Amino acid sequence: MPPPANTRQAPSPPDGGWGWVVVFGAFVSIGFAYAFPKGVAIFFKEIQDFFGTSYSEVAWVSSIMLATTYGAGPISSILVNRYGSRPVVMLGGLLCGIGMVSAAFCTSIMQLYICVGFITGLGLALNLQPSVIMIGKYFLKRRPIANGLAMAGSPVMLCTLAPLNQFLFDSFGWRGSFLILGAILLNCCVAGALFRPIGPGTASVKTQATEEGKGSLKREVTEDAMEMSSPTNLPMKNKTEEEGDRDCCEKINQYLDFSLFKHRGFLIYLIGNVLMFLGFFAPIIFLAPYAKHIGIDEYSAAFLLSILAIVDIVARPTTGIIANSKWVRPRIQYFFSFSIAFNGTCHLLCPLASSYTGLVVYSVFFGLAFGMVCAMLFETLMDLVGAARFTSAVGLVTIAECCTILLGPPIGGTLIDTFGDYKYMFIKCGVVMVLAGTFLFIMNYYNYRMLAKEEKERKAKEEDPKTVKTENEVRNNWIKETTQDGPELEPLREEQEGPKKEVNGIIEV
Amino acid sequence: MLAAFAGKCLGRLLLLCLYLSLLGGSPADPAMTMTTQDASSQSQANSLTNMKNGLNESFPEPMATTQIVSWQTQGRPLDPVTLGREVSVPGPNLATKESRQTSNQSVTSVQYELLLPGASDTSVETTISLEKVVEVELTCILDKEYSYLKSFQVTWRRGNETISHTNKTDNSWSIKVSVSDSSKLGSYNCTLKGEKQLSGIFHLQVPKIERKGKPTISYLRDTAVMTCECPGYTAISWTWYMTNGSKQIVINESLLADRYVISKKSASITHLKILKVTKEDGGEYWCEATFELGKSKGRLELKVLSFMVPLKPFIAIVIEVVIFVALIVCYEIYSTKVKHKEAEKEFDQIEHLKSEDGGLESSEARQRRV
Repeated sequence: MPPPANTRQAPSPPDGGWGWVVVFGAFVSIGFAYAFPKGVAIFFKEIQDFFGTSYSEVAWVSSIMLATTYGAGPISSILVNRYGSRPVVMLGGLLCGIGMVSAAFCTSIMQLYICVGFITGLGLALNLQPSVIMIGKYFLKRRPIANGLAMAGSPVMLCTLAPLNQFLFDSFGWRGSFLILGAILLNCCVAGALFRPIGPGTASVKTQATEEGKGSLKREVTEDAMEMSSPTNLPMKNKTEEEGDRDCCEKINQYLDFSLFKHRGFLIYLIGNVLMFLGFFAPIIFLAPYAKHIGIDEYSAAFLLSILAIVDIVARPTTGIIANSKWVRPRIQYFFSFSIAFNGTCHLLCPLASSYTGLVVYSVFFGLAFGMVCAMLFETLMDLVGAARFTSAVGLVTIAECCTILLGPPIGGTLIDTFGDYKYMFIKCGVVMVLAGTFLFIMNYYNYRMLAKEEKERKAKEEDPKTVKTENEVRNNWIKETTQDGPELEPLREEQEGPKKEVNGIIEV
Repeated sequence: MLAAFAGKCLGRLLLLCLYLSLLGGSPADPAMTMTTQDASSQSQANSLTNMKNGLNESFPEPMATTQIVSWQTQGRPLDPVTLGREVSVPGPNLATKESRQTSNQSVTSVQYELLLPGASDTSVETTISLEKVVEVELTCILDKEYSYLKSFQVTWRRGNETISHTNKTDNSWSIKVSVSDSSKLGSYNCTLKGEKQLSGIFHLQVPKIERKGKPTISYLRDTAVMTCECPGYTAISWTWYMTNGSKQIVINESLLADRYVISKKSASITHLKILKVTKEDGGEYWCEATFELGKSKGRLELKVLSFMVPLKPFIAIVIEVVIFVALIVCYEIYSTKVKHKEAEKEFDQIEHLKSEDGGLESSEARQRRV
């Protein structure tokens, strides 16, 4: 047994070392989760002919897959809270593989819905959430960079999957392709194997958190402390008296933290993002048809999407690096709302582009904005709720986003069909996103002010010696609460204890 | 009611004339051209045929109604262009085509014009697909810019046979061809001989069939579906052939019930479904569309694979995954063992130092006491 001195020194997340391997695993996992539903669309024409259905019936396959990937978020969160990330990702990879292999033997479109839609979608959901969670566990100081790099997996995978799918289809037909794609999806298990659980025995001993790391860590710690002292934690005080007798909501909160709905930052994020996703994906889906509509040939239209993807690949890690800089990191929420508003402005200006050059410029800016938003999508959530509650937060957020993600493109399609003009769809998307960006900006300004106020109050309380005892009480309850968290959170708990002890030590001296 | 309808059509006619004149003034603009894969042009062509059919049905008595469809193409010389389907290729020459469809009882008259460029020794070609019996008027127009070129001798030819003009103006020459059967299809050539030699060629043919260029892949004991379509046109009937050796065998009723299902999704799409595919089913297939003016064939290929073919890469990838996972797990076990050993060594060292310190302190205490 290593002496307690070592665990006391067990620092904040490693921010390097094996963390970069985990980033690579997350890169693969996230890439498959986002790119696969789009990549599988290449087979639809053939499947439509084979089963004799209409195109919209076949397009449901992709929609069901996307819906399940986002809708099964809470299930993913519960499983990660219970078992840790690694088993969940490996299970996800297995499910994907099984889903696609069984799809290769389907004899009706209904079976395709189940195999490709539900089973593979569920597998991808079990891949997506834990990957993002693992990044939060392994990185703190360099988390935006890690997030940016991992999210870059999506466009890279899309660029690889599209020609690969075409090649597989030409060589093996759709059944053989599904079989081989099932095997390729099993590589998610390899990515999962890389997600080494981070616990007391395996925590890296060498890195000491620098001033910056401690500072942001302290802020997160105080945030959590604020949450602890909020009235919702009264049932927890009861629990400390009766150890064996747990409250019902307690048990549920252990698996999926519904108390997040009282977290101010979480609510702001949820409302802003749900609004944003209404106009997020529709422009990508309709870019190529719009280009063809104004008279550009098919290959140039497809090239526009390639330009978008390439700019996206570059934009995501770059955004991560910018977001990690010391000017942006403390105010990362503003950067996020700015990029959403920038995205919306691009869409509003798109109808002005009536020539191919104009569309190319639009694609470049759109790719840039899209990459910026995606790179910071989960980083800002982590920043708001902290790594401890991120597991449940991401599950709850994805199931809420699921509805608007699915509604966005059909609403855009209806607008196009009603007015016969693409510009109303672009205007709608632009307006929605600018609104979402402005809302997030204003609300986060308010949130930052409230946080600063609470920090001041906390400092004032600490300097008052009469309240030291209550501090200890709060700390004890808070320790008891953190024991409920999963096995991976041990070093975080201990490291949070560390600064707390230091602070108290200073006071007592 | 008739007058109102005629008035509406005339109004449309005027509008399109205006549109044409504007187009004629401006240089080629990619936004103006209708492209090959443009669904809107297809649907326009479709609606046009529907309108035409509708007209034929609802107004059996002879009357002159006109519908104008116009295309503007940028065509290099020797660039094939088909009705309803244009390939937009940037080029210096402009070929404007107008087609006026007039219904006279049940015979439709179609007009095609070809604008000849002024550049010397060039030839402009265009391909016109006809699916029904029509009366075609072909006109070669000399661009106004080149009207300074005088003294032309114009000849219309088809093969070796010379056809006399039906209509002639200062800068345009036309002939009328009554295309009633396949013998009238072919290439009609107008040659302008003078200071420069210009020629325009009209290729009249039946519509071509669109089908997949790449082979269809199917598996043993599975169903194979092959599709042929001629978008925008109505085929009277479809026939499928399969190739046995070098002979082409019609897939007809005798074989139909057994394993072949021919289904017609719409007037322009046909499917051939083969149930329980066997190895011998692989090879060439032909789909033939019968139009009023002739037949058109398309070639398809069917490849039959056994399930072992994709299974090999599948197993290879699965083995690779298992190897990687095993490697990662082994590396992790190895590195945790190494860390534990090091941690134990450290612990032992610290204990050793502590006991030394303890010994030092007790000796110090003894010294102090002393």
